Amino acid sequence: MALTTEERRRLEDKAHELRLLSVDTVAWAGSGHVGGSMSAMDVMTILYHKYMRVDPKDPAKPDRDRFILSKGHVGVGYAPLLADLGYFDKELLREYNHTGSPLGMHLDSNKVRGVEASTGSLGHGLAIGLGMALGARLRGEAWKTFVLLGDGECDEGAVWESAMAAAHFKATNLITVVDRNHCMIDGPTEDVMALEPFADKWRAFGFEVIEADGHDFDALASAIERAMAATDKPVVIIADTIKGCGIDFIAGDYKWHYGGFDAEKLAKAKESLGLYHESRLAKGAER
Amino acid sequence: MGDDELYASRIFLGAALPLLKVLAVDHAGVRKGFAGKSGAVQVSALTGGREAVYGAPKIGAHFVVENGELRFEKGLAEGPDIELEFKSVAALNGFFSGKAMKLPRIRGALAKPGLLVATFKGLLAMSAALGATEPPAAEAERELVVKLYFYLLSSGISQLNKAGHPDVARWVAASPDRVYAWSVEGKPELSAYLRLKAGNSRAARGVYERSKPFFTMSFDSTESALGILMSIDDMVEATKAGRIIMKGAPEYGAAIGEYMMLVGAYAK
Amino acid sequence: MSGLTFTMLDTAKMSTAEIYGQALCGLGEEHPEIVGLSADLAKSTKIGAFGEKFPDRFFNVGIAEQNMFGMAAGLAKAGLVPYVSTFAIFTAMRGLDQVHTDICYQNLDVKMIATHAGLSFGQAGTTHHCTEDIAIMRSMANLTVVVPADGVETANAVRAAYERKGPVYIRINRGFDQVVYDGPDYGFEIGKAVTMRDGTDLTVIACGSTVWRAVEAAAMLEKSDGLKVRVLNMHTIKPIDAEAIERAVRETRRIITVEDHSVVGGLGGAVAEVAAGTGKSFSFKRLGVPDCFSIIGLHEDLLAHYGIDENGIAAAVREMMGKDFEADDDWEDEV
Repeated sequence: MALTTEERRRLEDKAHELRLLSVDTVAWAGSGHVGGSMSAMDVMTILYHKYMRVDPKDPAKPDRDRFILSKGHVGVGYAPLLADLGYFDKELLREYNHTGSPLGMHLDSNKVRGVEASTGSLGHGLAIGLGMALGARLRGEAWKTFVLLGDGECDEGAVWESAMAAAHFKATNLITVVDRNHCMIDGPTEDVMALEPFADKWRAFGFEVIEADGHDFDALASAIERAMAATDKPVVIIADTIKGCGIDFIAGDYKWHYGGFDAEKLAKAKESLGLYHESRLAKGAER
Repeated sequence: MGDDELYASRIFLGAALPLLKVLAVDHAGVRKGFAGKSGAVQVSALTGGREAVYGAPKIGAHFVVENGELRFEKGLAEGPDIELEFKSVAALNGFFSGKAMKLPRIRGALAKPGLLVATFKGLLAMSAALGATEPPAAEAERELVVKLYFYLLSSGISQLNKAGHPDVARWVAASPDRVYAWSVEGKPELSAYLRLKAGNSRAARGVYERSKPFFTMSFDSTESALGILMSIDDMVEATKAGRIIMKGAPEYGAAIGEYMMLVGAYAK
Repeated sequence: MSGLTFTMLDTAKMSTAEIYGQALCGLGEEHPEIVGLSADLAKSTKIGAFGEKFPDRFFNVGIAEQNMFGMAAGLAKAGLVPYVSTFAIFTAMRGLDQVHTDICYQNLDVKMIATHAGLSFGQAGTTHHCTEDIAIMRSMANLTVVVPADGVETANAVRAAYERKGPVYIRINRGFDQVVYDGPDYGFEIGKAVTMRDGTDLTVIACGSTVWRAVEAAAMLEKSDGLKVRVLNMHTIKPIDAEAIERAVRETRRIITVEDHSVVGGLGGAVAEVAAGTGKSFSFKRLGVPDCFSIIGLHEDLLAHYGIDENGIAAAVREMMGKDFEADDDWEDEV
């Protein structure tokens, strides 16, 4: 179902709000994986604010939908989203990465309400998500499992083990999204370890592939809805994104996989995000 | 069996005589006797025609008294203050076992009469304690007698081994590193033990701390202990009644019991 | 064939792998949340019996161990209790990142049954041996590590694992073990060593396939040398029965550990850590694979080759008993 104007507006505002909170968190943490947080923010926002049935007051609700941030390093992007929803006090974000804090570079499911799995070592999330999905089916429960992978992460063989298995077990209650921001630590993905033809690889592994603009809520909505209705093959949404999107001095730059903001840069980042938000709203208004 | 005279002499000189030290601490009368005394006291015997067996014309043991405290030393002293010299080893054995009343030749009586008297007092006390036919009435006295017995038997077995008594030496030669202990429940201060290893033996006083002894003969009270040690009680009965508790393999209890009796036979 | 220490008559008794398969099926009937996973080794690891009985609750993921352990974690998070079985080497190495991070770190109720451990896969060679897994696994926080001595003990361990909160690693052989226990009711308890024989001359601490051999060696030594060797079946490496080790140090002062595992970091290392902490002096020797990659051969032959069969154990005991220990120069009676 197409997004209404209000829905789209709400999502845009929320994503922008979370991006601001995320760069703040990066500043409070001293430094963080800002590039991947920015690129993934729209996907996470639409999942949590439109499609996933969760209750921040009851993180262990048995029939809740599960989300696994397999690219677990973007905790500085995910934690603000959870805090904003009410899983824990926003004030805690100020202590991000501080000694003894429950919030660290990679979010810990033992310590942070709302986090389903302690990821960080890449390549694990899809297997865990597949296990959850199969568990749900075995127990006759209807909840869905969403897994967000990074594209560089797809170098890991374990990802493809899980993909093969997901197709083999017809785990259609598992919805996979890849944050295809084309960058990794040592350079663009295609320079370091070429992934293309990426969509073909997923198809070859038995997935239905939906390619979507990862910063277009309408495209994402359409993709997610199709994925959630799948009955034959598991679906992977390859979300085409821009690393560090919204912040002009880091957008598209692989070197900003991880970085820090001093007061000056922080102000510049927020200013840039503001302009970005406006341009997004304008684009949306044209629809 | 073997050279009984030799074995008996080792038990008297090596195991019995050193008990004077215990009496000098625990027995009020003996303690008073030695109080303030100093000097070296030697008990010896001439080997005469059996020098080849004993390896020297004279054998003996001595102790040094320093202000009432006794310290035993090996072998013969150079010019002891008091010496009880027996004409023969047989005479020494006879005296200590109480069979012969013949006194040894005594030297130094004029110079240190007090020391001599104290020594004899100690020997008499020892004889009384070990020669009793029933347990003393007072617990403190019973404790002393048990201690004397435990020390006598453990050192006695060790001395028999060192002397080459065929049965004992064979048993010790075959033994891996093991400790045999004697104790009374709740009274660790009365304990004694014997460590054996491939022919070597060492008797010691107190509780063996380094590990659990291979075998412990434990009595539930000083009365029970004396009942067995004085041959009043029956081993089987006592075991059944729990007066004696064998901790460790029972077949080893039998061996130890046998050697304890052997020491007793030489000492009496 | 050289090296076989059992006859054809014994093989009927010795299909102890079946005992574990049956135990799991029994558990599966009582508890519907138990699921099974295998990486194309259902037949070899005997979890296939469970798979046949409960096909809907069994997942064969093919030759993909990392995915298997990750899936097990996900299934556990969904409220199920997964029993995951593959060869020890693949559990402890191929899938270790997943075992460590997905299962142990998140303290999930995943029960890992690692088979063909030690040198038991003899002829398959180093690629399939696993003489390092005890060292690796006992260093994982939150993980319980059990090395059962025979089929009956494996069944006990499988049942106990269900009751035990958190991840459990059970390490077994190919399934052809000597029978140590006649029945399951001898007092199996995770974390408590079983005293197979008592004694105070020396203690042999064994686990897994060396337990039977240690018991045989002790019987031999009592008969021929009159030695009283204490034998402890230390089936739980973690949490280890520190009290039993401390008692062995205190009461026997001589400890020999024996395991179908490297001498580095396994049972021997674990025992040494506890024993050294007592502050008491003791004589100590670790028997195991001597920090090398093994030759190939039948399991029994390999155990003999590396001195961890009953003859090797007996020889080590004799050697240690003969060594000087405490002050052996003073043999004067105390006077």
